[in-house]
Amino acid sequence: MTRWMMTLLGRTPPGRLDCHQVAERLQHYLDGHIDAKRARRIAAHLEECRRCGMEAETYERVKATLAAHRSNVPATSIDRLRQFAERLARGDEPLTT
Amino acid sequence: MIEDAAFERYVIPEIEVLLRVAGSLTRNHAEAEDLVQDTLIRAYRGIDRFDGRYPRAWLLTILRNTHINRNRRRRPALLRESDMASDRLATAAADDRTDGFVDDGFDAEILRALGALDELFRRVVELVDIDGLTYAEAAAVLGVPVGTIMSRLHRARTRIRDRLDRAGLSPRSHM
Repeated sequence: MTRWMMTLLGRTPPGRLDCHQVAERLQHYLDGHIDAKRARRIAAHLEECRRCGMEAETYERVKATLAAHRSNVPATSIDRLRQFAERLARGDEPLTT
Repeated sequence: MIEDAAFERYVIPEIEVLLRVAGSLTRNHAEAEDLVQDTLIRAYRGIDRFDGRYPRAWLLTILRNTHINRNRRRRPALLRESDMASDRLATAAADDRTDGFVDDGFDAEILRALGALDELFRRVVELVDIDGLTYAEAAAVLGVPVGTIMSRLHRARTRIRDRLDRAGLSPRSHM
């Protein structure tokens, strides 16, 4: 059976992922926690499948919105702790908490 | 000394991440600095036993254990996570750092959805999606397996997505 016939009949061609398989891996894909080969197969499915593409778009917007709320760490705090760490390494600070 | 070089190589570059995560754990800037300071001392004491692999995860484990030990010596009231979570959400809601493409209604609904999550799920979303940790790093902070992080994250994001659907704010709700 040819690839286009399988697609017409709602069957997934060999080597392709179906919607269920993509849904299971979608978040790992968006987080970059998936190998390159699988990532390519998921990307190919998202290009072709409108429903899964929209699902991915929703999760990407959720992630972007949450990442926009990442707090800025004051540079003065980083500097103070960096200096503390350097004094520790020189043996100028007591090792008690 | 070799230990001092390792400390400078592996630990000092991670101070910013440690401070960010400490801020998430304590919801208090001064406490976060104290927590990181204690973490640095413990890391220095243990640097000779560190194998050089995954320094951030190693440091986050120390941070977590230091946080637990510090809290054991404190009033139990400081450990009420629901209070800490609402502090963070209040901070987030007051924060006007929104990208141009982020719609206000969408943004607000996500924060409401985050606030409605159980603490276990909300923590994972905060560490991974807000603080930017990897699954393994979030696992180190919470002291749970990576698989637990993955499943909690999946369920939490699905709940957020479902809420967006119900509010008619997700792209697929217009299909």
